[in-house]
Amino acid sequence: MPRLRPALFWRARRTISPLATLILPACRDLASAANELRWMREHIAATPSPMPSKMRLWFMCDQRAKGKPLQYVLGSQPFGHVDIKCRPGVLIPRPETEAYTNEMARLLLSTLPPQPSSDSPQLTSLNILDLCSGTGCIALELYAQLQPAAQSAGHALSVLGIDVSRQAVQLARENVAHNTQLNLIPGTTTATSPNNADIRFEQADIFAPDFEERLVSNNQSQTPKSWDVLISNPPYISSRGFARDTARSVRNHEPRLALTPLPSHKTTTAAAAATTTTTTTTTTTTESQQQTIFSSRLEDAFYARILALCRRLRPKRVLLEVGSMQQAARVVDMVAGGGPGLAELYPLQRAEIWRDDPRHDRPDDCRQKSVGGHEIRVRGFGEGRSVYLCRADV
Amino acid sequence: MLTAPWVCRSCVRSLRSLWIPHPRLLRRASTNGATDPTPGISPSLLERARKIAAEHGQLSVSLEANFDPKTAKRAGEISRVAAALREFEQARTGLGELQTLLTSDDAEMRELAQDDLEATKAQLADLGHNLSVALSPKHPFADMPCLIEIHPGPGGTEGRFFADTVFHMYQAYCANKGYRTRVVQYEASDSDGQKGSEGEIALQEAVLEVQEPGAYAAFRGEAGMHRVQRVPATEKSGRTHTSAVAVWVLPSFPENSGPGTASDVENPDSDFYIDPTEVRTETMRARGAGGQHVNKTESAIRLTHMPTGTTVSMQDSRSQASNRVSAWRILRSRIAAQKREAREELTRSMRSSVLSQSQITRGDKIRTYNYQQDRCTDHRSGMDVHNLPDVLAGGGSLNKIMDSVQTWLLDRDIQNVIAEEEATSASDKKGGK
Repeated sequence: MPRLRPALFWRARRTISPLATLILPACRDLASAANELRWMREHIAATPSPMPSKMRLWFMCDQRAKGKPLQYVLGSQPFGHVDIKCRPGVLIPRPETEAYTNEMARLLLSTLPPQPSSDSPQLTSLNILDLCSGTGCIALELYAQLQPAAQSAGHALSVLGIDVSRQAVQLARENVAHNTQLNLIPGTTTATSPNNADIRFEQADIFAPDFEERLVSNNQSQTPKSWDVLISNPPYISSRGFARDTARSVRNHEPRLALTPLPSHKTTTAAAAATTTTTTTTTTTTESQQQTIFSSRLEDAFYARILALCRRLRPKRVLLEVGSMQQAARVVDMVAGGGPGLAELYPLQRAEIWRDDPRHDRPDDCRQKSVGGHEIRVRGFGEGRSVYLCRADV
Repeated sequence: MLTAPWVCRSCVRSLRSLWIPHPRLLRRASTNGATDPTPGISPSLLERARKIAAEHGQLSVSLEANFDPKTAKRAGEISRVAAALREFEQARTGLGELQTLLTSDDAEMRELAQDDLEATKAQLADLGHNLSVALSPKHPFADMPCLIEIHPGPGGTEGRFFADTVFHMYQAYCANKGYRTRVVQYEASDSDGQKGSEGEIALQEAVLEVQEPGAYAAFRGEAGMHRVQRVPATEKSGRTHTSAVAVWVLPSFPENSGPGTASDVENPDSDFYIDPTEVRTETMRARGAGGQHVNKTESAIRLTHMPTGTTVSMQDSRSQASNRVSAWRILRSRIAAQKREAREELTRSMRSSVLSQSQITRGDKIRTYNYQQDRCTDHRSGMDVHNLPDVLAGGGSLNKIMDSVQTWLLDRDIQNVIAEEEATSASDKKGGK
């Protein structure tokens, strides 16, 4: 990190406040220091506490000065329509995630099937699966945006978030309660207002051998669930990338579990590959259903696993966050090389790579990307941020 | 050459009763103030009022037969004129009766009539004024809440300090009046950290939303250049500086408005409609590693309306979504004001040149705040108030000034209507020949 000039500290002291000099090393520039200080003040004004407000402010600035992310200091981060509580130990929601979640919600709203005829008792359902849900931001935002439309069109909306961390699942459940209380999302079924929508979070390890069985057996009451959307923001940073590319506050304060896959994840994938196939090469299988997608890189371990799950669960749409355009290309490559089953299920002609802001195209950005001989459509501007797959029959 | 020396206010006041100033010393410049209300009403306006009243009569008859919402709406609009005209006519017949009584033989009767005559004449003038007011068109945005934007004029920090003063003045005024307000934007310039003499900060730009319906009508007279004359806190040698602050008053479109109104954002005919494809959205984020790699709070957003080059940046809230919403609202308001100004420009060029002199634009200096003389002057209504601290605290003095501006605006509207009516009748005559 380049050194900040002492003159900048003097200016911060003079133009903003002496406290700004404290948080300047963490904020890096005057404008964001002024903003963060204002947000802290607003937060203090909005939340009553027996502690004197000056003391609280100083305490917050002190924490921020030590590099603690503002979201942890304030305990929350707005995310689209909802307000997400944040706590050390769970990854903070990112604006890029907000952008593609918003786009996904828009896509789902535009393709929502029309209202079923009133005499048929069968409710059509819209099932969303969020893997590695963390704070539950994606699940909550989709729920907040889709619920009113689903309600009026008579669809049963069901959102399920899965995370391996107990802390994360607990926080996600708190977030459901928190947003219901703030009236940002409609409450789940109560006696007064019958609601055919549902949002749940469960703790599970998606690498566990019995994960698929658990997911299927979870809803024995109904016919096997058909998943409409599988959306995930899995850990995708390599160990090298973690050491070199991540911001200091990310490295020191956010959970590593949410950022980089563990070596055990890769071995699990490999072991699964070894048990189902006789050799580790992916091409010599007898049944494509049994085949496991293989990734050579540790940071792609989750994508291999999720794509394997996709083949089993057959969700209509899949959206996976990635770290860069290269990683997006690798994920597309995995789909292409994932055996006839996967490539047929999710044809590459319909696959897309979404950039940071998928809504707005910039003329100077390239609209196509060639991956292993296939031309993949690229949307928006910015860095490659997510991979979108769509089932052939949708 | 003689310059006017400083004279103590109380002395001036005591002198005022003694001598009548020479006409040359009377203040006449820079005030194109209200013309004295003519008793009664201009004949062309009366003609128009009669036409409208006749139309109202027809409409109400047709409404009794069968109800039609469109007709009902029009009838409601012009009922004000019809009612005012009826009162006016009544008062006029009353006056006629009194005048016949004046010529009667009974001395006592004549005396009584004489007594009543003055009162009736005054009443008639009032009613005539009311009728003119009813005839003057209502501003299309009059019922809306408004956004008050404050920008310091070009120049040094003195203007910026005063911009802050003006901002607080309007805030206090709204508080006194009990209007609900919201600070949409309040941005200090980061060029230096000095504070003004009363602790003002150097303001870059501020936007205050007055959420009261009808606030636009109340504040529309405030738009323009506000000039300040004072010795700035930064001035060492005690010279008086003159600087200016621009105040824009824009209609703020209500969050949920019914379809078909002028404030409907989805309606392409509305002033507030903006084609989303013409707006470029930028989230001011540096490219490079993003996503899980960084956790910066980046909520700033910038909208650029490409055909006009209008840009709005917003970074007030931590939520990008709410920043986007407020940025869109400000952009809509600015574009609507621009569209309306362009339209007014068009109609103004078509009207006679007499009318265009008093049109408000951003360039005109409308008010002066003079600290040395403890005076606030409005240049349009010609109103002087000598309690500057009360004005700046948004108190009764400011209210007095704003009321005088309202009267001035109303008079101007009436003049416009008269001129328009005369122009049309003149062209009718031409056409007749």
